[in-house]
Amino acid sequence: MAFLNLKHWSSSEFDLNEIRLIVYQDCERRGRQVLFDSKAVRKIDEAVIQKMAEDAPVKTSVRTCQASSGNNSISSHNLSISVTQNVKEQIPKYQYTRPASDVNMLGEMMFGSVAMSYKGSTLKIHYIRSPPQLMISKVFSARVGSFSGSNNNLQDSFEYINQDPSLGKLSSNQNGLGTCRSGSNLAHSTPVDMPSRGQNEDRDSGIARSASLSSLLVTPFPSPSSSSSSSSSYQRRWLRSQTTSLENGIIPRCCSSNPAMVRRKKIAISIIFSLPEKEDAQRNFQDFFFSHFPLFESHMNKLKYAIEKAMISCRKIAESSQRVQVYISRVMDALGEFSRITIWNLYSVPRIAEPVWLNMMSSTLEKNQLCQRFLKEFTFLIEQINKNQFFAALLTAVLTYHLAWVPTVMPVDHPPIKAFSEKRTSHFVNMLAKSHPYNPLWAQLGDLYGAIGSPVRLTRTVVVGKRKELVQRLLYVLTYFIRCSELQENQLTWSEAVGEEEQVLNGSKITTALEKGEIEESDYVVVTVKNEPALVPPILPPKNDRSKNHTIAEWVYNPKGTYPVPASSKEKKETIGKVSQNSETSVDCLTSTLHKGATDSGKRTVTDTGAVPYHFEEPSNLEDLTDVRKNKKQNDRKVEKQLSSRSSALPCPERSGHRSSHLEKVTFRIGSSASPESDLETRRREMEENLKVLRENPEVIHCASSSTNLTVDASQNQKESCEAASLPYSKHSICYAQISSCEGQGSMLNNQRMENTGTEVNSENTVPGELLLSVDNVETVTLPSIKETRTSCSGNLEGYSPGCVEVDSAVKKESLKLGAKDVPCGDARRKTPFRVEGDIPRNESSDSALGASDEEGDCCIPDEVRHDNVSKRLEEFAEVELPLPRSNTVSRQCVKNFGRSLLGGYCHTYVPDLVLHGVNNDEKLKQCLLADLLHAMHHPVLDEPIAEAVCIIADTDKWNVQVATSQRKMMDNMKLGKDVLVSSQVSSLLQSILQLYKLNLPADFCIMHLEDRLQEMYLKSKMLSEYLRGHTRVHIKELGIVLGIESNDLPLLAAIASTHSPYVAQILL
Amino acid sequence: MNAIVALCHFCELHGPRTLFCTEVLHSPLPQGAGSGDISGQNEQAEEEEGGIQMSSRIRSHSPAEGASADSSSPGPKKSDMCEGCRSLAGGHPGFVSHDKETSIKYVSHQHPNHPQLFSIVRQACVRSLSCEVCPGREGPIFFGDEQHGFVFSHTFFIKDSLARGFQRWYSIITIMMDRIYLINSWPFLLGKIRGIIDELQGKALKVFEAEQFGCPQRAQRMNTAFTPFLHQRNGNAARSLTSLTNDENLWACLHTSFAWLLKACGSRLTEKLLEGAPTEDTLVQMEKLADLQEESEGWDGSEEEEKPSSQPDVAEGQELSKCSPETSLMPDCNRWNVAHRRLSVFRSLRHMRQVLGASAFRMLAWHVLMGNQVIWKARDMDLVQSAFDVLRTMLPVGCVRIIPYSEQYEEAYRCNFLGLSPHVQIPSHILSSEFAVLVEVRAATRSTLYPTLLEDEQSLNKYEFVVTSGSPVAADRVGPTILNKIEAALTNQNLSVDVVDQCLVCLKEEWMNKVKVLFKFTKVDSRPKEDTQKLLSILGAAEEDNVKLLKFWMTGLSKTYKSHLMSTVRSPTSSESRN
Repeated sequence: MAFLNLKHWSSSEFDLNEIRLIVYQDCERRGRQVLFDSKAVRKIDEAVIQKMAEDAPVKTSVRTCQASSGNNSISSHNLSISVTQNVKEQIPKYQYTRPASDVNMLGEMMFGSVAMSYKGSTLKIHYIRSPPQLMISKVFSARVGSFSGSNNNLQDSFEYINQDPSLGKLSSNQNGLGTCRSGSNLAHSTPVDMPSRGQNEDRDSGIARSASLSSLLVTPFPSPSSSSSSSSSYQRRWLRSQTTSLENGIIPRCCSSNPAMVRRKKIAISIIFSLPEKEDAQRNFQDFFFSHFPLFESHMNKLKYAIEKAMISCRKIAESSQRVQVYISRVMDALGEFSRITIWNLYSVPRIAEPVWLNMMSSTLEKNQLCQRFLKEFTFLIEQINKNQFFAALLTAVLTYHLAWVPTVMPVDHPPIKAFSEKRTSHFVNMLAKSHPYNPLWAQLGDLYGAIGSPVRLTRTVVVGKRKELVQRLLYVLTYFIRCSELQENQLTWSEAVGEEEQVLNGSKITTALEKGEIEESDYVVVTVKNEPALVPPILPPKNDRSKNHTIAEWVYNPKGTYPVPASSKEKKETIGKVSQNSETSVDCLTSTLHKGATDSGKRTVTDTGAVPYHFEEPSNLEDLTDVRKNKKQNDRKVEKQLSSRSSALPCPERSGHRSSHLEKVTFRIGSSASPESDLETRRREMEENLKVLRENPEVIHCASSSTNLTVDASQNQKESCEAASLPYSKHSICYAQISSCEGQGSMLNNQRMENTGTEVNSENTVPGELLLSVDNVETVTLPSIKETRTSCSGNLEGYSPGCVEVDSAVKKESLKLGAKDVPCGDARRKTPFRVEGDIPRNESSDSALGASDEEGDCCIPDEVRHDNVSKRLEEFAEVELPLPRSNTVSRQCVKNFGRSLLGGYCHTYVPDLVLHGVNNDEKLKQCLLADLLHAMHHPVLDEPIAEAVCIIADTDKWNVQVATSQRKMMDNMKLGKDVLVSSQVSSLLQSILQLYKLNLPADFCIMHLEDRLQEMYLKSKMLSEYLRGHTRVHIKELGIVLGIESNDLPLLAAIASTHSPYVAQILL
Repeated sequence: MNAIVALCHFCELHGPRTLFCTEVLHSPLPQGAGSGDISGQNEQAEEEEGGIQMSSRIRSHSPAEGASADSSSPGPKKSDMCEGCRSLAGGHPGFVSHDKETSIKYVSHQHPNHPQLFSIVRQACVRSLSCEVCPGREGPIFFGDEQHGFVFSHTFFIKDSLARGFQRWYSIITIMMDRIYLINSWPFLLGKIRGIIDELQGKALKVFEAEQFGCPQRAQRMNTAFTPFLHQRNGNAARSLTSLTNDENLWACLHTSFAWLLKACGSRLTEKLLEGAPTEDTLVQMEKLADLQEESEGWDGSEEEEKPSSQPDVAEGQELSKCSPETSLMPDCNRWNVAHRRLSVFRSLRHMRQVLGASAFRMLAWHVLMGNQVIWKARDMDLVQSAFDVLRTMLPVGCVRIIPYSEQYEEAYRCNFLGLSPHVQIPSHILSSEFAVLVEVRAATRSTLYPTLLEDEQSLNKYEFVVTSGSPVAADRVGPTILNKIEAALTNQNLSVDVVDQCLVCLKEEWMNKVKVLFKFTKVDSRPKEDTQKLLSILGAAEEDNVKLLKFWMTGLSKTYKSHLMSTVRSPTSSESRN
């Protein structure tokens, strides 16, 4: 169960006291000073304090109390400092001792050894190996002097405090505690000037981007299709990928430099987490920390704010020892709050074990039970707790603010491929993720908080109530409506490493040979998850003239002497001419095949072509296997030395094989775990693309066409046995087959053939340089081919790619050994369960025409020739093309995501981070809700500006639903927020679902109907937005007559409309 | 992944240097990237590199001074670049890899060509190697700010028997503007980059050991005067990473590795994001197109009921294929309204209502909605076609069977919209039937001109329209709910045509959702009558006309939906156990 993994994060493995806080300041004049180190603080025994408090005079300095807690409206803590506590505050509660010895070092780490001239705030994370610690630091500038005209965070707080009359005027002479002076001011006196583009302000979040973001909004979006389907999800993600793009330079920030802000001092706040020594626990914490970083950071901002306040408020206390005490206890309180909230609460609060929406999305097996259980709960709530329309109000609020459900009901304009009830995963978003990767964790967080409308609102929901069971039922049902995407974790490998791992998991034979290698300091490997070599051996192109530094002789490898290296451009050109002649027939053939594939049997044929080379080559390998091995060994020995210059010796021979594109694709398809339909789609597109490129580039056609040749034959033979399949092919065609593997696939048998068959070899020689090299490539492919054969022997046809360029001699050698040693036929090297990406031959073949291995031919293609060939594609050929290795993908459900961690259960206390949770009472809410909302608005965890932070509070004791917002303070102390208007659309929806359920319609059908009704709401919002194009006011009657929209539906429909039509908000708000 | 990965080196002579740098280019291709005069760009880059030189920077007293001095510094000095500071040989164009599936290019040079990126990488490099402090000097750090981007850096040593301390200092950095993405990727990047570092170190160690074996430097240095600096000034001291690892293809290898790292990191997490089901109209249109593509091989016998004959469907098919796929796939088929035909056309339902008059239109619409046969008799084929195009928007796509123009009467089961030429005889039982409505388009006499119409509708002014039916709808009859709503929408001039279109979509989907439930209830589960009656009142469709409408609309359900319900939804008995 995914949920169990969360429990690993539980704080039992984590000592709260192991969170250390250090505050430093770095001032140009005075140098570096530790302002605080929680490790140096010793708490004085509680009993002692109690005693002293009792002894203390009852006369308490109430003024101090007011002064120090006068700013409570913002701070989430210190709200209720009782008088006794104040007394305690005066009595030394903490003892501040000498900071630990490592504090200087930590200071260096926080500030850096060279001071930076950059004035904004910086964020740093350090990993300290021993003892294992994780340190997160924020360095920001504090200006000495006036407070005007800045939006610096620290100054914000100063200004805020300034407004507080009880605080009076602040001394401009900021003076830290200075209890410990850092001795090391060595390097920071000469600031390194960093190229600065004028923005000096403190920017904790991406708000600085808002200007550019809105300007982006003006430009038309690339629309995934003609309809609006999935557009809001799509656009949000597209925008994100664009605003964080690097490729055209970064988007310039706004903000002018403020000349008044030259003299500054810097404050650094660091939180140091001592990590558990146990590796598992340590990894768990790190996974949690890094995946949930936005939340950690948000709390760190809160802590920073509290520290600033403590620094300022204590300054007014004249008596120095008392001042220190106040300061220390404030900061310790803040630290305690931080620890408790981020660590304890985030770790330990109960989560909803089975969020309905996510589980329905991911598990298909018990879908019926899921539907039934959900509907049972749902209808129970409709029937039992809809007093005063309570439930309808709650659902109205949730649908209005947690808007991520909207994209899940937007009708698509393409047909469902899967079963009808299963909604489709968004194809366009999938494509976007591939072509313009964005951060899915971020996207998910935004979905959960409902921050997808315009203006952006960030929403949380809290269900309050003494009846735990009831609250839990409500929470459970709401997880159907609070939606987000499900995350998958993909491991991409270019070797077979993961395949081997999978083997182990499947209980098949374990190949230990994998683990031996020359990776040093293998303690690192643990983190690597898989043992694939990290250096990916390149598939090298021919050396060309430009690299004069290297003598050609150095690079030429010509093992058999059969491939003359073209020396002059003239020769080259001839070669090309011949090739194009040769290839004419093949081209025809190719075209017709493709045509056939496209028209006749559609996708099927096309996908099959991907498999073909596999079928084809494999039997040949089989035949030749023994010979090849022998020969190979000899060859390798001979060659080895010459090849020693080759790069990236691979420690693990097993993994060295590159996967060729086709074959991987085949595996992918069969493995079939994730999205077969999109894969088909992809492949078809690639096929078309391929065809296009082939037509455009004659020199490519030759090689690609030959492979397609095979395709035709092979598809005919596909169902025959492997041995049989091999028979029809002439040697000649075999050679072509290998040529086809320009992109780096091929097989060792090519090598063999070439030795023996003079004619073919000659014809190979006439191939232009690129092709020639690809032929050479073949030489090197031993290892994968052998594996290939093995697989086929075991009768497991899926997932093996025969042709892989393996360019590394060492690898070849080892692989051969390995092959001989422990890989007899029938070795069950199955790699069933994972999918491999690959595809039919496509225009990478053209790419790899250049991208052959260097070791054997240094085919220097004279520049002119190259340009002749590729002048049309000059741009692409400016750089030396190196093909990427083909990738395997192993996917699994990712549990370290917000969808699983932010949907809370019934908690002992209010937890501000959670998207949804239940609490016993609203005491804590009343205390800190407003401050939390303001904080959430000012320090958005989403790294994008938000307009409003909202909290839906459903009180099952008082039967009311309120919406609290950061935008206005409730004057009424009894209320947390505004009461929710119940949408009649929602209540009629609830009633009809209940009635249908009572009529015994099956649960899954009821849910389909529920989705249909939600879709109706979406359509109505479309109409509303259309209506608002021509109207500045809504005449609700007009809509009511036609669509039954009532005024109480307007907030809901307008919110829905804001996800697809941003202008709606401008009109209605 | 929107990131740059770079290898940096702290040169003993020249300070922090960017050695090698892999960028990601997404489609659409940025202009000028990787094109143009490469060597020129490289030179320029080197120039800048020479310009912002660490040593001068440190010497300069104030940052501002340093910057201005640097920017005016002359061209590349050979002395500013040593073997150790260089990756690709001068004039080397760099590397590129294409990921065709994603249209992403990975490009490697010594420095980014883009000046802004150049300075960002430069800045990250300097910070990574000479500002940020990492305990033990080897290890990961994250740092950064909004202005210069965010950096994941991992510093490490490479063994060098000739270097001071027998090692050189390097870092691999990953730069992103998306701070959260980068931090989320920390564990992944750390693992991968450490792997790369380990292998580099391994290679170097081998070289180191071989060199030490051949010529123990320590001993040599002990013997000779200890002048490491002099030694280094000799020039060969600053060795390239290629020679330190004895790997001539190191840069190609790093390119592939960095590109791979970027690809793997960018696809590490993927989302499964659901989208809504297509509307019934979309489904039916898709099915019709699919059927067309099967070249109307004849219909399955069981489909007879909905697909009475091939003829109307072929006509329909031609209709479908006539319009572009985009329009025909639009969930709302209201684009039919915008007929680009000649003048004598109806432009919208509202227009038609104006032309026919409210009561005649209501009668016509009533028959349309209930599935009765609508016969238009007119000389002008375009007019009839436009009438059908407009009228059909009231119905789900699946309920529309049109024979646009025929020379003989066609039975109602074959078409609910039939266009006839004026001379065709209509059987008398049809004319008297309550299940058919006839619209006769006659040449107008002067007196019957419609005064309300504008000039551009002259062509319609030529006609008068006579709507007759065997059983005229009683004026007091309530009619199906949807008809009243449609009329309300058409009457209200405040609602633009687009709004009305959208209204129609809403209304149709709303009623199709009721149809779905009814279908499930009666056809799939075969529930008793009294239950059905209950259901109808739950649906707000208990009135006679509404029931009729639902029944007719049921014929328009998509095959996809019906077969899904038939096959996968369990019968009610199995859910009996619930309570």
